[in-house]
Amino acid sequence: MVVKGLPERPVANVMMNEGKVNDLIQRWRDTPEEELTPEDREHFMDLACSCLAQGESERLLMFLQDDKNRRMVHSMGCVLLAPLMKEALKNEKSWDRIQSAITHVTTTCGPDEVLRNLLDVMEDTDAPSISETLVQVVPHLEAGLLRLTKGRASWLGSALRVLHKQLTRLPVPYTEEMEKEDQWGLGRCCHALTTFTQAFSGEVRNHEDGERREMKTELLNFCMRSLREPLLEAPLTPGTTTAMWLFASNITATLVAIQESAADLLFFSTMKKNIQMDKNQLAESKGCLAYLVFVKQLDAERFPIVFSPEFVLRRNLEYIHQLLRSKKESHVLKGLALFEKSLERAQDNSLLVTLLEVKSFYDVKQSLLQVLTECPMRHLRESGLTVLQLLINKLDAEAKHKLFGNLLKTSKHPGVEGYIVKNIRNQVEFSMKPGNATRWFLGTEFVSLLRLAFSLPQGTETNVLHDMDKIMESLNLLRYLLIRDKPLRSNADVWEGVCGIKEEYTKMLRVCISMSRFFYTGELNELRDEHKLKARAARASTCTRTHLQSQPVKRDTMSKMSPEVRHQVLQSALVTFDLMESLIARTEEIAAEKNHDRLDASALFCLNEQKKRQMF
Amino acid sequence: MTTDQDLSMDGALAAAVFAAKGIDVTPKKDQGIIKVFKRHGHDGECPMIGDRVTIHYTGSLLTGKKFDCSRDRKESFSFNVGKGQVLKAWDIGVLSMQRGEVCTLLCKPEYAYGSAGNPDKIPPNSSVLFEIELLKFELGETLTDDGGIIRRIKVKGDSYLNPNDGSVVDVHLEGSCDSRLFDIRDVSFVVSESEDKGVPLGVDRAMDKIQKGECCILYLSSKYGFGRKGKPEFEIGPDKDVVYEVTLKDFKRAKEPWEMDLHEKLKLASEIKHKGNQYYKAGHYYHAVIQYQRIVSWLEMEFGKALEQQKMINDFLLSSHLNLALCFLRIQDFSLVVENCNKVINLDASNEKALYRRGEARLRRNEFSLAMADFQLVLQVNPANRAAHHQISTCQSKMKEYHELDKKTYANMFQKFAERDTKDGRTKRKRDESVRSSKNNELGIKRRRSQDRLSCQ
Repeated sequence: MVVKGLPERPVANVMMNEGKVNDLIQRWRDTPEEELTPEDREHFMDLACSCLAQGESERLLMFLQDDKNRRMVHSMGCVLLAPLMKEALKNEKSWDRIQSAITHVTTTCGPDEVLRNLLDVMEDTDAPSISETLVQVVPHLEAGLLRLTKGRASWLGSALRVLHKQLTRLPVPYTEEMEKEDQWGLGRCCHALTTFTQAFSGEVRNHEDGERREMKTELLNFCMRSLREPLLEAPLTPGTTTAMWLFASNITATLVAIQESAADLLFFSTMKKNIQMDKNQLAESKGCLAYLVFVKQLDAERFPIVFSPEFVLRRNLEYIHQLLRSKKESHVLKGLALFEKSLERAQDNSLLVTLLEVKSFYDVKQSLLQVLTECPMRHLRESGLTVLQLLINKLDAEAKHKLFGNLLKTSKHPGVEGYIVKNIRNQVEFSMKPGNATRWFLGTEFVSLLRLAFSLPQGTETNVLHDMDKIMESLNLLRYLLIRDKPLRSNADVWEGVCGIKEEYTKMLRVCISMSRFFYTGELNELRDEHKLKARAARASTCTRTHLQSQPVKRDTMSKMSPEVRHQVLQSALVTFDLMESLIARTEEIAAEKNHDRLDASALFCLNEQKKRQMF
Repeated sequence: MTTDQDLSMDGALAAAVFAAKGIDVTPKKDQGIIKVFKRHGHDGECPMIGDRVTIHYTGSLLTGKKFDCSRDRKESFSFNVGKGQVLKAWDIGVLSMQRGEVCTLLCKPEYAYGSAGNPDKIPPNSSVLFEIELLKFELGETLTDDGGIIRRIKVKGDSYLNPNDGSVVDVHLEGSCDSRLFDIRDVSFVVSESEDKGVPLGVDRAMDKIQKGECCILYLSSKYGFGRKGKPEFEIGPDKDVVYEVTLKDFKRAKEPWEMDLHEKLKLASEIKHKGNQYYKAGHYYHAVIQYQRIVSWLEMEFGKALEQQKMINDFLLSSHLNLALCFLRIQDFSLVVENCNKVINLDASNEKALYRRGEARLRRNEFSLAMADFQLVLQVNPANRAAHHQISTCQSKMKEYHELDKKTYANMFQKFAERDTKDGRTKRKRDESVRSSKNNELGIKRRRSQDRLSCQ
C-alpha cells in the first residue's frame, strides 16, 4: 500500500522523505523475489536515477555493494543497467564508480536477464551514441555469455544480430584519412566486435556438440553479414592502422577458426550452410570475400592454388555481377577489380566459347555494359572499358567472334559498338599475320560479323550524329579491309560478301548523311532567321516595352541551349558530315585503285601472253 | 645462374626416376602426368567424372619447396573431379585413383600452371609434384540448387557444345525405379517440351549440361521424376525417385535469343505461350514455368521500335509474369509469386490479377496485413470482385487467430522468464534447498498452464 501512495515520479519526493525510502528499502529486503512487482522495479530504478541525478554515484555504488542488499540487487538490479550506461557516457568524473556499479550488477544478476537488458540498451541507442554504447556494452555481454551454462548459442546469435544491426547504422568511412579519424567510431566498434567474436570462435573450434555447432552457425552468419555491411562499402586498404582492414582480417580469421574455408564458401555454395540471408545479399557478402581473397590477397596462403583459372572466373562471375549491378561506387569498384583479377589468371586466347553460354556470364556482360553506358562516374567507366578489353584478350577467336556479334546486336550504344568495331579491326590485323589465320576473322564466319559492324540501326533514317562513334570506326575498318585486301580475296565467297556489304553500306550511309545534312542545314537556317527576327524585335522593343517582356518566354519554350551553343553544335555536325563523306570517298578511291591495279595486272598478263604468242 | 642449373638437373633427375618407376596416366600418352604409387587403394573402386572427391595433397616444386598443402591447413580438400574445376593434372590423375590410394604425380607445366606459373609461388613453365591421398568420394554432382538431380558421367562427351532450350535431341533412355527397368527406348524430343514424349522433367533440365556422345546416370527426386501423380503407364507410384541412364546421341541447337530479331522472337513467343498454357491446363506446372520463363528471358531486354511492337512486347511480358505467378501459386513457391506479380505491377500498377495473386501468395505466407492491402487495391480497381471481398474477410479472421496465438506465445515467454528468475533467486537464497528441483519445476509448469488458459480466453 505504501507503494501505491507514492507519486508517479518520486525523484524529488523520495529524497525529501528519507523515512519512507528506508521503509521501502526495508520492505524490498524482506520481500521474496517472486512477490516483487513491476512497480517495485520501477521505483527501484527511479531511486537509483535520482541518486545519479544528484551526483551521488558513490552512495549508489555503496548501496549496491552492501551485502544486505545483495538479494534485492540480484532480483531487480538489471533495471539499472540502462540508466547506468547512459550516465557513464555523459559523466566522465564518476566513470570508474559507475563502471564498478555496472560490473557489480552484471555479476550479481542472472545472466539471462543481464543479457536481455544489455541488448535492450543496445537496441534503444540512438545513432550518435552507438559506438560509445557498443564499446561499453560488449565486454559485459561477453562476460554474461560466458556465465551461461546453456542456451549460449541463441543468446550469442541475438547479441551478434543486435550489435551488427547497430553497427550498420554508422556511416562507413570512404577514405583512409576518415578511417584514421574515425569520427563516428565505426573502427572502435569493429575492434570491440573483434575481441568479442574471438572469445567464442576459439571455443567453437575445440568442441563439436550440438550447441557449438549452433554457435558456429551464428558466427558464420555474423561474418557473412559483416562482409556485406560495412566491409563491402569500406576502402579496405591493407595496413595495421586501417580499422576496416583489421576487421576484415578478423572476419577471415573467424572463418578459419570455425572451419569454414573461403574456398568452400565461394566455390561450392550448393551445400547447405544455414546462412539466413537472401540470395542477392549472400552474393554480395561472397563478392566481398572473393575481393579480399583474390584482389587483396588476404590470407592468400590459406587459399588452395590448385583451382583452374577458368573455374575461378566462372564461379566469381555471379559475385561480380552482383557487385556491378549495384549503384554504389565502392561495390562497382570492387566488382571491376575482382573481374580483372579473375581474368588475369587465365591465359590469353584461352577461354572457350562455352563460357559465353553460362547464364552468369550473360549477366555480367549486361551489368558491365550498364557500367560502361550508364555509370555517371568517369573513372568507373574507364576501368570498365579496361576490363572489357582484358576479357576480349582472354577469349579465343571463336568466343571473340561470338562476343563481338552479341555486343553489336544488343548493346544499343554507339560508343560500345564503335569500340567493338575497333577490336574487330585489331583481330583482322592479328589474323593476317602468318600462322594466325582463323575462319572467324578472315574466313566464312567473318562476313556475318561484318554485316553487323556495317549496319545502320534505323536504316536510312539513322541519326548519323548520334551513331557517329560507330560509323567512324566502321569506315575505318572498311578502309583497312580494302587496303589489306589480299588475304580476303583468296576466298572468293568472302570477298564477294565483303564487297556486297561495302556497296550496300556506303550507299545507305550516303543517303543518311544527305538527309541529316538537309535537316541540320534547315535548323541552322532557322536559327539564323530567328536571330535576325530577334535583332529586329530588339530594335522594335526600344519603342514598346511589351515586346521585350514576351521575348524570354518564347525563347525558353524553344530550346534550352543558348543560340550560340546551338549554332556551334549545328556547325560541328555539318563538319562531321563532311568528314564522313570524305572518308567514304577515300574508300571508294582505294577500291577503284585496287581494281585498277588488278585490271592493270591482268592486262599486263594478257599483254605478256600475247607477246609470248607473237614470239613463237 | 647456378640455381637455374640445379633446378633443371633436379628436374631431369626426378623425371628419370619417375619414368623408371611410374606410369603415364595421360590419355595422349605424352608423359605429361606420371604417377607413382605409394599405397594402393582398399577396394578397387574409382571415382567417376562429376563425383565429389575428398583428398589430402601436398604440392611441391622439383626443388623440394612446398607451395601448397592441405595438411598444413588441417582441412581436407574437396572438388568435383573431371569437371575442369582444378588443374588438368588433377582431373586426370585423381580419376585414375582408387579409394584410399596414395600416389605422387609428376606434372608437366601444360597440365599444371602453364607458362604463367603462379605469382610468388610457382615460376613460369615449371613441372610440379603432387602427393595425393584419395580419402573418399560421393557419387555424382548435383545439377540443381535443390539437389533434385544428381548426375554421374559414365562416358564423357566429345564436343563442348550443349543443347539449349528448344534444341531437338536424340537420346537413348533407360529409366529404372527401385532397380526395376521400366523404360528403354530411343527417343527424340525438344528440350523444354520433354513432357510431350513422356520424358520426365529432370532429364529435360539436365540436357543443357550434357554433351554430345555423353552417357550419364541421372538420379532424380520425385519432383524431377513423375511427381505426386506418379506414372501408371510405367507402374510408378506417387513420390517415387527414379534413375535414368541417358546417352545423348545427337542434337540440333535452337537459335540463341541474340541470334534472332524481334520479329522472330515475337512469333516464337506466341507459340511458346500457347505451349505453356497447354502444360498449365494439363497440370504440368514446372514445364509451363519453363515456357513462360523463356518468353521473359527473350523479351525482357527488348525495346520495340514502333509503338505497336512495344505494346506486343509488354503484353507478352505481362501475361508471362501473370502465368508464372499462377504456376508458382500451384507449386506453392510464394516468394516467386510475389516477385512475378511485382514485375507486372511495375508495368501496370492497376493490374487486377497481379494484385489478387500477390495477395493470395502473401496470405499463404502469413503476411496478413500486406495481403489485405493487396485485396483492397483489387477492390479499388474493380469493386465488384467478389473473391477479393471474400479474401479480405479470410485475412481478418486469420489475423485474429494469429494474434491470439501470438498472445499465447508471449504470455508463455514472460512467464518462463519470470519462472527462471524466481528459480535462480531461490537457489541464491538457499531457501528450501532440499525440496527445490523437481517439485518446484512441476509447480512452475502447472502454473504456466493455468496462465495459458487465462490468456486464451
